[in-house]
Amino acid sequence: MGTRSPKRKKLTVHILRDKLGLKPSKELIEMLKKQNEIKSKIFKAIKQKAKTVPEIAKETGLDTTTIFWYLMTFYRHGLIEEVGKTDEGYFKYKLKR
Amino acid sequence: MGEILERILADAVEEKEEKKYDVLIIGGGIAGEESALDLAEMGFKVLLVEKEPSIGGHMFLLSKVFPTLDCASCISTPRMAAVAHHPNITLMTYSEVKEIEKRGEGDFRVRILKKPRFVEESLCTGCAQCESACPVIVPKEYDFGLRGRKAAYIPFDTAVPKIAVIDIDHCVFCGQCEMVCPVGAINFLQKPKIIKVKVGAIIVATGYKLFPIGRKKEYMYGKLANVITSMQMDRVLAPTRPYNSVLRPLDGKEPMNIAFVLCSGSRDRTVGNPLCSQVCCMYSIKQAQLLMGALPLADITIYYMDIRAFGKGFEEFYQQAKDMGVIFIKGRIAKIEPTENGDIVVHYEDIENGGKLRKAVHDLVVLSVGLLPNPEIAKVFKNVKLELDEYGWIKQKDENISPVETSIPGVFTAGCIIGPKDIPDTVVEAAAAAAHVAAYLNEVRRGGE
Ligand SMILES: Cc1cc2nc3c(=O)[nH]c(=O)nc-3n(C[C@H](O)[C@H](O)[C@H](O)COP(=O)(O)OP(=O)(O)OC[C@H]3O[C@@H](n4cnc5c(N)ncnc54)[C@H](O)[C@@H]3O)c2cc1C
Ligand code: SF4
Ligand code: SF4
Repeated sequence: MGTRSPKRKKLTVHILRDKLGLKPSKELIEMLKKQNEIKSKIFKAIKQKAKTVPEIAKETGLDTTTIFWYLMTFYRHGLIEEVGKTDEGYFKYKLKR
Repeated sequence: MGEILERILADAVEEKEEKKYDVLIIGGGIAGEESALDLAEMGFKVLLVEKEPSIGGHMFLLSKVFPTLDCASCISTPRMAAVAHHPNITLMTYSEVKEIEKRGEGDFRVRILKKPRFVEESLCTGCAQCESACPVIVPKEYDFGLRGRKAAYIPFDTAVPKIAVIDIDHCVFCGQCEMVCPVGAINFLQKPKIIKVKVGAIIVATGYKLFPIGRKKEYMYGKLANVITSMQMDRVLAPTRPYNSVLRPLDGKEPMNIAFVLCSGSRDRTVGNPLCSQVCCMYSIKQAQLLMGALPLADITIYYMDIRAFGKGFEEFYQQAKDMGVIFIKGRIAKIEPTENGDIVVHYEDIENGGKLRKAVHDLVVLSVGLLPNPEIAKVFKNVKLELDEYGWIKQKDENISPVETSIPGVFTAGCIIGPKDIPDTVVEAAAAAAHVAAYLNEVRRGGE
């Protein structure tokens, strides 16, 4: 459906990588690993039930600033939705189906 | 710029053909856009070069504009589209002017570096499927770090042109973007190009830089999540905002007690910027009014040295903020500290009450950062000197009678490149620069007959 099969043709990204001998830096790989961990912790926490940032922090052990930063990134990518607000002024977020 | 892109740019291929335009405009903020449209309407062929992936400058990132509270993107987006579609305007985004040589009046030779987006501009539809597929998240520049973007990304919802970019320095070479692109637009083999052009006149409209407020250590910017800049607050209040509502970065709570610290990095010799930034008083009052609309129960305090409400309708706008309940405290901020729950203690000298030292607790602090010169462009002039004033702004030939002329005949300025100013004054200067270019080119061409 319009997507290219990697088997059919070598991707230009891999041609460039091989031609210039490029490798993602160690820091970048570490960052990506950490991001994947954060993402799966947050997604797990809000999969079934909508939660506020402090509630997600309590459950995951992540700090609130990091959680909120990722939530807003996912929100803008349409992966999560807001479901109401508490009296203290915290929105509740839930993973979209 | 990262190491990998730098390496790729070093292999830029120079195009053989030299293209000709009447005017080169450097910088696609509101100043460059307005000059370009005026000149294009007069029938001149314009080349507009912008270093970022989208035109729009600072204005298209703003919420509303003072004192009318008109929506900034509703004004700027149609202007950006008009620039992109005008038959007399050629737009080069993600491009940098590298060298300008003046060979004579009306004859400038220019070399421009067109950086690779690694996306074919003619194919990309801006569908953002590459962005969704890309696994890497980094801070989004257009939101001043308030949220993330991907390594493959559409620069902005209302970007012009709306074409994806690959941030090669954060790419892990997984190929996801390339595999999902429905039109095969992604091309990592795209090369940087050096484009040679000959132009008759130049307008420099490269705008301003924001004061790097991290330099003022006592304000704790970058250390405390609930201390943000005014540019970040304008983003939070904009329709294209990074958050789902007006929230504080520490934990996503609605702030209920917000402080503004005016003159952050302006009128301050200790940080090397003794000048007034001219717009901070008014944009802070604008933000305070917008916050009162968004959060009717919130307390808003503005700490100021003096309020400079000098333009048409500004004093009324200031009085309106007071009537709405914004608290104005004439006070110099000595220190900013966190509390245990993430709130912020502001220590200030209460000037109107005998200079007593006082403190107040807020749950969000906005630093109203100043505007700094952006003098790098002067370096690209090779055999002629584009003079700067003592602060680094481009020097005007004569501040009183030729404010948009520079030390080089045929090179003009528009907007904040010669000093801080608001949008209406920027637009007036852009029109003046366009008129000067037209007069200069007509004179040069008559002389050559
Ligand atoms: C927080 C904040 C709020 C504000 N709110 C208001 C408001 O409500 N009302 C108002 O009237 N004013 C407001 N202003 C001021 C307003 O931003 C300026 O008046 C206006 O943006 C100036 O436009 P400009 O085109 O001169 O510069 P800029 O907007 O800075 O545009 C310059 C352009 O040149 C590009 N550029 C830079 N260097 C190069 C290069 N070497 N090569 C190619 N391109 C280059 C930049 O990427 C940019 O696109 C505000 C400013 C701030 C900081
Ligand atoms: S590069 Fe392809 S996937 Fe990305 S926005 Fe353009 S058309 Fe869509
Ligand atoms: S190849 Fe690079 S830009 Fe493309 S999806 Fe992978 S990491 Fe993102």
